[in-house]
Amino acid sequence: MSEMVKLTIDGKEVEVPAGELIIKAAQDHGTYIPRFCWHPRMEPVGMCRMCLVEVETPRGRGLVTACTQRVADGVLVDTKSDMVKKAQEGVLEFLLINHPLDCPVCDRGGECPLQDQTLSHGPGESRFVEEKRHFEKPIPISDLVMLDRERCILCARCTRFCDEISGDPLIEFIDRGNYTQVNTFPDEPFASYFSGNTVQICPVGALTATPYRFRARPWDLEAVESTCTMCSVGCRVSVQASQNQVLRLLAVDSEPVSHGWLCDKGRFGYEYLRSPARLAAPLVRGEDGELHEASWGDALATAASGIKDVIDRHGPSAVAGLGGARSTNEEAYAFGKLLRSVIGTGSLDARIGDAIDPVLLATGESRALIGDLETAKTVLVWGPDLKEELPVLYLRVRRAASALGATLIVIHPRSTGLDREATHVVRYRPGEGAALLDRLGKGEGDLAAVRAALDEGPVVAIIGRGGLTEAPGLASAVAAFVAGLPGASILPVARRGNVHGAIDMGVAPGLLPGRVAADQAGRDTLGEAWGTPVPAPGRDADGIIEGLADGSVRALIMLGTDPAADHPHRARATTAITAAEFVVSLDLFVTDSNRGADVILPVEAFSEVEGTVTNIEGRVQKVNRVAPGTGQSRPAVEVLGDLASRLGGSLGGPADALAKEIAEVAPAYREITWDGLAWGEGRDGLVAAAPDGGLPIPEPGELTGPPVAGMALHLGRVLYDAGTMVTAGPSLEKVMATPAAHLHPDDASRLGVTEGIAVTVKSRSGEAVIPAIIDSSLAPGTVYVPFNFGLDIGADPGVEVVPVTGGEP
Amino acid sequence: MTWSPATSERADAIVARYPERRSAVMPLLYLAMREEGRLTDEGMKEVGDRTGITAAQVLAAASFYTMYKREVGRHLVSVCRSISCHLLGSEAVLDAVADETGVPDGETALDGSLSVESVECIGACGGAPAIQVDYEMVEGMTPDSARALVRWLLDESPEVIRSDDLQGRFGGSPSFDPGPVDPVGAIGPFPAFGPYGTAAT
Ligand code: SF4
Ligand code: SF4
Ligand code: FES
Ligand code: FES
Repeated sequence: MSEMVKLTIDGKEVEVPAGELIIKAAQDHGTYIPRFCWHPRMEPVGMCRMCLVEVETPRGRGLVTACTQRVADGVLVDTKSDMVKKAQEGVLEFLLINHPLDCPVCDRGGECPLQDQTLSHGPGESRFVEEKRHFEKPIPISDLVMLDRERCILCARCTRFCDEISGDPLIEFIDRGNYTQVNTFPDEPFASYFSGNTVQICPVGALTATPYRFRARPWDLEAVESTCTMCSVGCRVSVQASQNQVLRLLAVDSEPVSHGWLCDKGRFGYEYLRSPARLAAPLVRGEDGELHEASWGDALATAASGIKDVIDRHGPSAVAGLGGARSTNEEAYAFGKLLRSVIGTGSLDARIGDAIDPVLLATGESRALIGDLETAKTVLVWGPDLKEELPVLYLRVRRAASALGATLIVIHPRSTGLDREATHVVRYRPGEGAALLDRLGKGEGDLAAVRAALDEGPVVAIIGRGGLTEAPGLASAVAAFVAGLPGASILPVARRGNVHGAIDMGVAPGLLPGRVAADQAGRDTLGEAWGTPVPAPGRDADGIIEGLADGSVRALIMLGTDPAADHPHRARATTAITAAEFVVSLDLFVTDSNRGADVILPVEAFSEVEGTVTNIEGRVQKVNRVAPGTGQSRPAVEVLGDLASRLGGSLGGPADALAKEIAEVAPAYREITWDGLAWGEGRDGLVAAAPDGGLPIPEPGELTGPPVAGMALHLGRVLYDAGTMVTAGPSLEKVMATPAAHLHPDDASRLGVTEGIAVTVKSRSGEAVIPAIIDSSLAPGTVYVPFNFGLDIGADPGVEVVPVTGGEP
Repeated sequence: MTWSPATSERADAIVARYPERRSAVMPLLYLAMREEGRLTDEGMKEVGDRTGITAAQVLAAASFYTMYKREVGRHLVSVCRSISCHLLGSEAVLDAVADETGVPDGETALDGSLSVESVECIGACGGAPAIQVDYEMVEGMTPDSARALVRWLLDESPEVIRSDDLQGRFGGSPSFDPGPVDPVGAIGPFPAFGPYGTAAT
């Protein structure tokens, strides 16, 4: 507990931690001091002067800015004296001399701090009769953000955010004096993954987001608090809708997770919800071999009879389920129960061959919380490029390293967004991770310093799959190594929305709901609760795909999953699904994966259903409903329940009933109820934890494959890939990245490749022609290609790269 | 854009002098100006690359200081408008300059021959009103002598500008400060800035 000091604010004596800023101390004790530039998550600058208060100290009385002045024992603070009022009026009169007062056409009107504080603290009129300064009205500073410099009050919140928080200072104060303006460099737009945060924290309408501009008035919006499900960080959000359409997401500060930030994919990704391509009615394959709209009754009947037919002829283990990683926990639970209890198959997986061992995701050994980054001495990131895959976790790690002084170690096959902040950057050739781990353990050569840093606890290690050609077991080996260090804890990560929740709900062959191993004892206990036997573990995602291809699996049920895009060997996955005898898909869209399905059932999505999701640290948080789904879409829980009853079983009711059931049968989720999760001040979800210490870190299995033929392929993800969430929304589609083959300069010159020319990347699975980029951060002999752009190069460790003859830049 | 080997070497030496690379941004901006005759976008990007900051951050620094010129003529005429010069008629001097050259305050002649600007005190209050040409001082100006001066600049386009030479040709009574014993003169609108290590070698 830090030392406390006593001071008086507006005649009320309060006790606050020493070193607190007056503005914060006052706020915590019920006195709101007006402000523009101060933001609780950023360093104070004292630029706008709006927060002036009168203080009396032994050295006399005077005005100070409450956002820069720290509390001291015995100080008297007056936030409402005549002197303060006069100062506030003066500051506002100044701030408004150049302000265009175009509130009626400003998006911020109605929720604008400048408007509000002018009303509450302003002078009511201005003595300024001169010409205001003029700038071209809103200019696009990126594909997502517009800037109206006339409205800007130069508080520097946006520029400080970029410099301090996100680390990409692409906007700055340009020129000076009366001409000072926020702007970008002439030909370098504000292409930050976090740009939307500046729009939210701008205290005026100077920065606006193109997806929301002129869509609504704040007072017409209906809002619910919820959790972003675009990735597994699980940032707290307010989802705001009007006339049954989600129109924007705002960040809500949560101390343990998001610190009030969102990434742009999370913030602007909601547009897919109202994509015209979204399914509005069930589709059933007719006699003519085409998909036709059908009634729910017919579609469910067809789905049930198709599945039943396969069970009758080939037994329940010929049915398998893929998906759940984009669903709520309740949906995933229902999916698992349908497959295991009603159908009787043990083949199910929420991962699509791209994540790490589910047991590692569910392990109870040495688990870290995101919040542990605040006190970590050393942070190790060995896994994905966090900026591309788990953006707000990147912000938290960046903060640990840049503001809190942690030693950051980044281990990845190429440069990552965190390298600038890192004390140690270690790069390696994909496939050589196990050897590197071995050398790191011994602290050999150049790794001695890194090893030494790992001995400086507390250590938090964020561990995941660095690339899709990496042996999935490597993460388990790294985890086991780190867990053996004194004072070290691990945060195993997989990216997709609610994959952690789906694994916790037992959507993996070896796991049952609540982080229980699917061994005999676990299955018996669950079977008793369910009143049906629980089958032995069946196939995982890769096994299911193999089984579909060789005919040992005949029917597939997909819940919001797109293996044709997301499986590392997409061609293999597509062929397998096409070979399936009977496919039922619950989805929002027709995708390459379900195009050949027999029945497609439209389900409700994020913001349309109520439920819970679980983030990377195991924090269970609420998602809420604010709008209905498109057309006849129904909640997946209901659809799965209807399927179950048509198959002669039962799942246990709607989502809230399932939530209660989960709290009973899933040990790690005991005591976690919707009531306990309801959002509110200081309520930030609950962390699931297995009561008995949980599962140990799994054995890594085979880590080194046969020597790589040709060049080693590194397949990594980028934030704006060609996934449905990006391509189905007009705003994110604009910022979608384009794939390229990154080569080390040595390889480039050996192959005669120059920047920008077309090269063919060939693997056993197929080939793709993409432009080359020279990338000296790669190890020689490696080629990096971003994943999920529909390229058919598979995920074999070795590829060949040849320049296309006559391949012009 | 890449800088000439000499400039590059100079830049490396300057960067090496600071514990933080970004601290070298100001002297490097002078180098960038010298390299291309003015501060270009490419020049600012080069400075950003060498100091490890974004181009926007370089622009923020460059656009704050008025002596970093993104646009400038072959000669730069700076007319002081601060208090001493103002009291002694600098406004008329500036008007005369603008009238004679056709270039208003803050702008550059279309043919790039010269730029005109009004500036704050240039430290020659004793010899007010004062003007600088390419940062070389001339004191005790009148509207007429200013006209003669800019006409000479336009007609002769002199290679080297030197303060004592200007003072002799156009100046009135100078302040008591005799200036450096051995003036080196300027060979362009950019000051040598020896202390910053940017002087041509
Ligand atoms: S644009 Fe907004 S956040 Fe940025 S300085 Fe201006 S008022 Fe502040
Ligand atoms: S980091 Fe993930 S959870 Fe947070 S806003 Fe971005 S996509 Fe959403
Ligand atoms: S809030 Fe304190 S000066 Fe701006
Ligand atoms: S006022 Fe002009 S030189 Fe000082």
